[in-house]
Amino acid sequence: MTTGRIPFPTLLRVETRKLVDTRGSKVITGVLAVLTAGAVVVRGIASGPELHTAAVTAGIVVGILLPVLAILTVTGEWSHRTALTTFTLEPRRGRVWAAKCLPPLVASVLACVFAMLVAAPVTAAVAAAQGVPADWRVALPALAGWTATTVLLTAQGLALGTVLMNAPAAIVVFLSNAVMWSVVARLGSAGEAATQWLDLNTATIPLVNGTMTGGDAARVAVSSLAWIVLPMAAGMVRTMRREVG
Amino acid sequence: MGVIEFHRLSKTYSDVKALDDVSFTVPAGSVTGFLGPNGAGKSTAMRILAGLSRPTSGSATVLGRPYAELERPGYDVGTLLDASAQHPGRTGREVLTLGAMMLGLPRTRVDEVLELVGLTGKEGRRPVGGYSLGMRQRLGIGHALLGRPRALILDEPANGLDPQGIHWMRGLLRDLARSGCAVLLSSHLLHEVEQVADRIVMIGRGRLLAQGTPAELGRGRSLEQTFLELTAAADRGLA
Repeated sequence: MTTGRIPFPTLLRVETRKLVDTRGSKVITGVLAVLTAGAVVVRGIASGPELHTAAVTAGIVVGILLPVLAILTVTGEWSHRTALTTFTLEPRRGRVWAAKCLPPLVASVLACVFAMLVAAPVTAAVAAAQGVPADWRVALPALAGWTATTVLLTAQGLALGTVLMNAPAAIVVFLSNAVMWSVVARLGSAGEAATQWLDLNTATIPLVNGTMTGGDAARVAVSSLAWIVLPMAAGMVRTMRREVG
Repeated sequence: MGVIEFHRLSKTYSDVKALDDVSFTVPAGSVTGFLGPNGAGKSTAMRILAGLSRPTSGSATVLGRPYAELERPGYDVGTLLDASAQHPGRTGREVLTLGAMMLGLPRTRVDEVLELVGLTGKEGRRPVGGYSLGMRQRLGIGHALLGRPRALILDEPANGLDPQGIHWMRGLLRDLARSGCAVLLSSHLLHEVEQVADRIVMIGRGRLLAQGTPAELGRGRSLEQTFLELTAAADRGLA
């Protein structure tokens, strides 16, 4: 008989498998891959053969769909009440949650790599078709910043899903964020400042552009604290304390 | 010493006493029927036992330890708390595969368990959303048995089973008890437990009403009469 706790890699494998082991999750993953590749192709054709532009366009798709997938992952145990079996096999809920949150974060990095891999042949093909030289220049700081931003947005989805424990609520909050902040930004200088410091999307613009300054980094940190660290901390407290029924 | 022990367990939700000073044990090699009307506190007690809910006072232990302290509980205790609590898009086989992965069991165990609970290979490949309640109960019992545990906690496992299914489950639980397993089985229907249980614990309005062997509890009268009188008395006591 095996003794000792379930090894963390095993929990990771189980939670990763849960991402793609139902028809619904397979469809989402498929849609994600198709839309990511599609965005790269369409942008490549529209804007000409520029590798960086084509790849980063995929970030718009990835930055919305991966956080939604992340929300569905962390709320699924509650909405389908599978927490009943999951937490009886591993009562240390924090370990389960860590195993649940890591795969979407890794998937965010992989999605960015995937976008680059699709963008390269698209750039070459567009250059050949339009008879113009391809622009292969890639700004590494911008590429790293874009990847980091995608990871942050997925983390925001995980945090919102964990604290709200309800997929529709978390998805609405996540998607209405941009609208809400565009309104706040118009509320005079105070609203503008609040948007710069508290809206993750606004704060990460310099990160995506690869033009980070010290002040920009502080704004990314503060908005991440507000939208990732604090909700995740509150969500973990709720998760640990919740009576499962 | 019992494999499963409840010691002076109480649980209060705002102003409702769901459990009030409940103590009993489930010894190895026995089937204990946990009997009581709906809302008597059976599920609350079993969820506290499985570490999913916190007691207000008292304790519940498996193999002498609180559930949360068991290193890999699936090997010590199998639980079926709600057969309907499944992702509808996951197949029965996948549910068992995830459990087997968590316990570090080979995939052949999944096939063994499917056969043990009478689900065909074809049924195992179907999403649980299309299962009848009886099939979900079979799947849940199979999931509980994956790690060949020494204790079983089954909350209303006979719900939705057809007569053949109930007959099958009785035989299975008797075999498990004979091999040394401590089985705690809840039901709100007396006839579901009286034929399989070695011991019966009756609960009503959160309080332990009686416990003993079916013969002891019947005391010459029918067990059903005892059950109805005791639960009626518990209801009056509250009013």
